Amino acid sequence: MAWIVKPSGTMGIERRDEPYLTQSMRDRLTREVLPRYETTHAALLPALHMIQHEHGWVPAQAMLEVASFLKLEPAEVYDTASFYEEYWLKPRGKYLVSICRSIACEFAGHERVTQAVKDRLGIDVGETTDDGLFTLIELECLGSCGTAPAALVNESLHENATPEGLVRTIDEICRAEAAGSSAGAPHH
Amino acid sequence: MARLFTENMGGAGILTRRIPTPPFGDMKQRHVVRYDEYVRTGGYVGLRKALGMKPGDVTEEVKKSVLRGRGGAGFPTGLKWTFLPKVEAGKDPGARYLAINADESEPGTFKDRLLMDFDPHLVLEGIAIACHACRLNKAYIFIRGEYHHQAHVLEEAIKEAYANGVFGPRGMHNTEANCGGERFQVDCYVHRGAGAYICGEETALLEGLEGKRGWPRIKPPFPAIKGLFGRPTIINNVETLAHLPSIIEHGADWFLKQGVPGGAPGAPGSHGTKLMGMSGHVNRPGCYEFELGIPLRLFVEHYCGGIRGGKKFKAAIPGGVSMGILGTDQYDAELDFDIGRKYNVLGLGTACPTVFDEDTDMVAVARNIARFFKHESCGQCTPCREGSGWLYQLMTRIEDGHGKTKDLDLALEIATSMGSMPGTTICGLADGNNWAVRTIMNKFRSEFEARVKRTYVPVTVNAG
Ligand SMILES: Cc1cc2nc3c(=O)[nH]c(=O)nc-3n(C[C@H](O)[C@H](O)[C@H](O)COP(=O)(O)O)c2cc1C
Ligand code: SF4
Ligand code: FES
Repeated sequence: MAWIVKPSGTMGIERRDEPYLTQSMRDRLTREVLPRYETTHAALLPALHMIQHEHGWVPAQAMLEVASFLKLEPAEVYDTASFYEEYWLKPRGKYLVSICRSIACEFAGHERVTQAVKDRLGIDVGETTDDGLFTLIELECLGSCGTAPAALVNESLHENATPEGLVRTIDEICRAEAAGSSAGAPHH
Repeated sequence: MARLFTENMGGAGILTRRIPTPPFGDMKQRHVVRYDEYVRTGGYVGLRKALGMKPGDVTEEVKKSVLRGRGGAGFPTGLKWTFLPKVEAGKDPGARYLAINADESEPGTFKDRLLMDFDPHLVLEGIAIACHACRLNKAYIFIRGEYHHQAHVLEEAIKEAYANGVFGPRGMHNTEANCGGERFQVDCYVHRGAGAYICGEETALLEGLEGKRGWPRIKPPFPAIKGLFGRPTIINNVETLAHLPSIIEHGADWFLKQGVPGGAPGAPGSHGTKLMGMSGHVNRPGCYEFELGIPLRLFVEHYCGGIRGGKKFKAAIPGGVSMGILGTDQYDAELDFDIGRKYNVLGLGTACPTVFDEDTDMVAVARNIARFFKHESCGQCTPCREGSGWLYQLMTRIEDGHGKTKDLDLALEIATSMGSMPGTTICGLADGNNWAVRTIMNKFRSEFEARVKRTYVPVTVNAG
């Protein structure tokens, strides 16, 4: 949200030669997304979703690329990107473990689930493991209150989450990663 | 025999007629209904009938049904539609929009999700009917970012709907199927949010659609006049729209038979059925469908197998944390649109109750909710931005045992200053924060008092 200050890094931005907004993303935006809306600004959330999905975060260079593609000011892109929590303005782990802390989940014992994940990964809420594999966060209601506690591992939902169940999922991901393939959960 | 609040539903779910739900079906049998199954089971009959009617007559029927918004505010849907500028016959009215509110982020709420998970075409049919009635040519389903699966199900269903002539250039509104009004093209798209509760507020949702930060707009102008991209726009909740096919198919009188009449003279009643997602300390939580007016006790004891572990009922949130709390002596509260007036809560909200058993720490409940609002306040209005932060700090302090008696008065004063005076905040979030904290503190005052240190006020006595 607007009032959570996200670290903006240093004054200069890191650049790489290869664009984050790839040609195939530009084509998709032109063909499928832009015709849906009255303004190019309205294509901003879809464009940022593409970047987030592909790269796991939204680097500053990507925001500049999106701005020039949609003919927006960089400030307009940053304004939107910094407001929505789903967009990561700094890198995060390949696997994002999000545990619901809202009303039904807290009173169904979400804290035990969070604690188990913390212990398993050796990190606190908001942190990323040294190998860059996992980031742990807590967030608000996931719309699974009837099957609380609820958690997301990337895009896959875990209902009636238990400490053992989530640790098992993490173990499986680690095994798959060690064997050189991405585990069940999609990349982002 | 006592009323069970399913007897006027004709022996099956209405919104859930294809989604097995107790007492008419087993939740374990739920599956995604694709286009063919949807049509085979009576789908798109309501839309065909609507397209044979004049748009104004469709609106009239919806008005007559007293369908009220299922997104939280309970505003009469037909009435909202009449706020749109009139369309002159033979003239192109230009772009007019439908924004479908699928942001569902109110803690405790999981009901729109049920429709999107399993019966997406019911939602699409409702959208198509609203577009005909109001002459809207583009529909955007604004779905919360975390609903990855549901967005995917909807996208697939929209593809099927285009392929089968529901939307698009060869869609039903644009062919001979539309014999009640003028022909025009309707398009329907999914627009994904990105993790901001405030985007459920209808004008913040429009900002999110326009690619901007989700800051609610100052009203007026109202969206019906100047909404998305500055054009006339109707915003309706997913569940509200899903009621339209059966209202048009069976008529307003059929809808009026379900539910309960209004309490106050002249006030609109609570008609039709409602999806109600039960969470918290009950034996069988889940999303059910009942006629409006079902007492909370009946819902918990008869349908949800009572309170877990044989414990006693202590409190419940009627429908999302913004609504405030029902106290221990309000277990019999009827879940209808009069609940606010009768039980000193803000309203029915989303009608998805969260139930707490006797062991629940109400100070912790207040702290959890205060944190939510502090986190989700968009920060535009001072009473909301500052008040939500202070309330969270005070609740934390009291929970940790560092609070003083005067903190209770301070918290109540801050809560009351948020949203109670019309015009001091732009949207309803501040009011939700106020009602939640204030009603928990008032209805469970002794629990808060037991947690704080006494503040001694020195009293000097003038003797003689
Ligand atoms: C802070 C806030 C959050 C809201 N969140 C939602 C939501 O997630 N879903 C929803 O349908 N309505 C939500 N509403 C209500 C909408 O503003 C609006 O009343 C509703 O979408 C209108 O549709 P309806 O008349 O069909 O209910 C919210 C309102 C406020 C003030
Ligand atoms: S009341 Fe709160 S959430 Fe609503 S506009 Fe004002 S600051 Fe934002
Ligand atoms: S409160 Fe956790 S999913 Fe709703």
